[in-house]
Amino acid sequence: MIRITIQIIKNKDFNVKRKLLILLLLFVTLAGKTQERKYFSLFTDRNLYTSGETLLFKIFGPENESSGIIHIDLINASGKKIVEINKKTTDHQADGFIYLPDSLSSGYYLLCTSTRNNPTLTFNQIYICNRFTGIPEAGTAIRSSETMIVAENQVNDLEIKGINKTSQTRSKVQATIHLPGKLLSQIKGNLWVSIAETISGYNSESFLKSIKPKEDQIVEKDGVILEGFVKDFKTGEPFKNGIVFLSIPDSIPRFNFYRTGSDGYFYFQFDNYYGKIPVVIQGLDPERKRLVKIVLNHQESVPAGISSFENWTVPPELRKIAAQNIDALTFRKIFNQQEITIQPGSRPKAEAYPFYGVPTSVIDPHPFIDLPDFTEISRELLPGVKFRAYNRIPSLQVLNSAMHAYFEDPPLLLIDGIPIHDLNIVKPLGSKDIDRVEICNGERFYGDLAFPGVVAIYTSKSNFSRIVESDDLIKFNLDVIQPAAQLNIPSEKLQNEPDLRKVLLWKPSLKPEETVRLDFETSDIRGSFKLLVRGTTSDGSVFYKEQIFEVN
Amino acid sequence: MTNRILLIITLLGFFTAITANAQETIQKNGNTEKIKGTRFIPYPGYSGSPYLTDKFVVGEIEFLDGIKAGNLELRYSTYRDELIYYNAVISAQILIDKISLKGFSFTDDKGETRVFRRQYYIGLLHEERFFEVLSDGKVSLLVYRKVDLETCDTSYNKFGLAFQPSFYYYIYTADKGYSPIKMNRSSLLSKFSKPNQKLVKKMLRKNKVLIEDEHSFISAWNLIKDKEIEIIF
Repeated sequence: MIRITIQIIKNKDFNVKRKLLILLLLFVTLAGKTQERKYFSLFTDRNLYTSGETLLFKIFGPENESSGIIHIDLINASGKKIVEINKKTTDHQADGFIYLPDSLSSGYYLLCTSTRNNPTLTFNQIYICNRFTGIPEAGTAIRSSETMIVAENQVNDLEIKGINKTSQTRSKVQATIHLPGKLLSQIKGNLWVSIAETISGYNSESFLKSIKPKEDQIVEKDGVILEGFVKDFKTGEPFKNGIVFLSIPDSIPRFNFYRTGSDGYFYFQFDNYYGKIPVVIQGLDPERKRLVKIVLNHQESVPAGISSFENWTVPPELRKIAAQNIDALTFRKIFNQQEITIQPGSRPKAEAYPFYGVPTSVIDPHPFIDLPDFTEISRELLPGVKFRAYNRIPSLQVLNSAMHAYFEDPPLLLIDGIPIHDLNIVKPLGSKDIDRVEICNGERFYGDLAFPGVVAIYTSKSNFSRIVESDDLIKFNLDVIQPAAQLNIPSEKLQNEPDLRKVLLWKPSLKPEETVRLDFETSDIRGSFKLLVRGTTSDGSVFYKEQIFEVN
Repeated sequence: MTNRILLIITLLGFFTAITANAQETIQKNGNTEKIKGTRFIPYPGYSGSPYLTDKFVVGEIEFLDGIKAGNLELRYSTYRDELIYYNAVISAQILIDKISLKGFSFTDDKGETRVFRRQYYIGLLHEERFFEVLSDGKVSLLVYRKVDLETCDTSYNKFGLAFQPSFYYYIYTADKGYSPIKMNRSSLLSKFSKPNQKLVKKMLRKNKVLIEDEHSFISAWNLIKDKEIEIIF
């Protein structure tokens, strides 16, 4: 009996020990995790810009970031977004560019990096000088006075060789970066190397801010998410079970739809779309009884009070360099020297056939006599399509070839791939306005949507200008993922032109090797330049090494 | 202590489920590739079955871009070589556009997974067909499960028409195309050179494989396939 009791106590002790061990391991794991960088590290090529220039940036994301899309916004001191960029990450890194609008007034601006789910925003402060007015005479500016500054580690054992303290203008330089074996084994992803003009004693700093992330938990993995809200036009309440159409006009138009839940929200993900794409969003009540209103969920500004600001006296040296920069930019504009070349972005593979199916017949009205309106066209040219306007009220019906009878309900009517419900839009279309008409005689299905036949009109202009925006229809150009860009290096043929580059080298994704060779040529710009090497290690921390040299 | 651990695990599981569910909602609702097709018009009531399965079975389709949509109620029409899908949301039988699919698969009532692949067939007729993949590899063993409408005695069917199975078996490679084959021993042996025929015979004898039907033919084929013996097209 005593033996058994001792055994039980021993077992209990063992169980408690085991649990304590598990808890300890859990704690150690969590403690390890908390030390990982959870925010984005954002770096720009320079700190001082002139409006009309191009800003280059590089981002190192945290390892635990689930989102594959990063949003980079240029915002002014009042928090208003001026430029919005979306970048897709590769190995938790991204690089891109921002065209700084000519109209920007001189002052401090913030670059804000965010994702849908990350609760930490990373800000980077830059000074932009207006190219027409320069820095104001007042000599002061408002700048961020944030204290939660992001620190970095400079690695001393990383060597940069081949760069003299001074270099001649327009001279070729060969530099090498030597990575120590220990660091090389710890590096995660690619290295970022840049050589750009720097202003001594003037550095912009990054700072972090916490926000409440979106609660929907939807992750942007391969593309930008467009979200919005459908509400009842009269009551303003969220519209449940509303249908939202997304149309992307193209040679083969793309289409998608979303059925709203009780919250009225809709989401469309644009996987692997690059650049700017035309988009039409329509909302409708499937029973066609109530009117709906579409509201896109787009923030024009970052939350108020995101940063505190203070007055700052512009140093005279900055004013002098800003004036030189304006001159340099003016010359670059005169000689039409582009700072970067944008590489064409890919698009999702074209569909084999339109979403509404392979047409039963395709009619080109041009070989026939000119017909003045769509009533005549349907009567004379379109088989199985009945477009009539009795008492000036137009109606459209398509033949159901399987049943040898006309559908009672109107078909899916499209203009340049965009569904329309107002038949008056097509009524005035004559032969000259129409490129071709595609007809599907039969009931078509697309997901849960059923169409009693399809009439797809492709106009000669194919600019869907006939479709008018309304409460339930929004058309706009959507900025999706920004395509990659490359820094322009002037060719040797243009030796007679001034070379006014401020960025001599921009390699945002260099493969880390024991020895990395860098070949670059200095420009006609004299002053201080900084070679910067940055990367991340497997523990998520960002390291850097810099070397400053003068160009005379 | 155990209760606390259990509570933590439950909470973690709960949050994971919420995250997965939210992503799933957008995937299901807005961004999955949509099934395209036309309404299915039922065939007249002739004798025999125009379908491969007696009823709708749960299966999966694969679109051209490789995206798969699963948990669908599917039925393959052997008569028209069409795939029918039952959409419970709108209570409609939809004939899926053949050109939008790479293939489909389902588990039949015997619990066997049946895989079909859409391939272009160049024969007397040039057309896209759904072939059932009986055995896949460098050389595939395929069957085109066709059902023909043939005349029959009116005592058997009042219209005098009945669906009669008429399956076509092929061996196929992407570069050499199709070569017809029958489900018997001599047809199998004819696909090998004389010296290799002996080898095949020996292999079948050793493994006690007697080719009597489709099932035993597939077993024999899989046995030979692994040995990589050259096949004559």
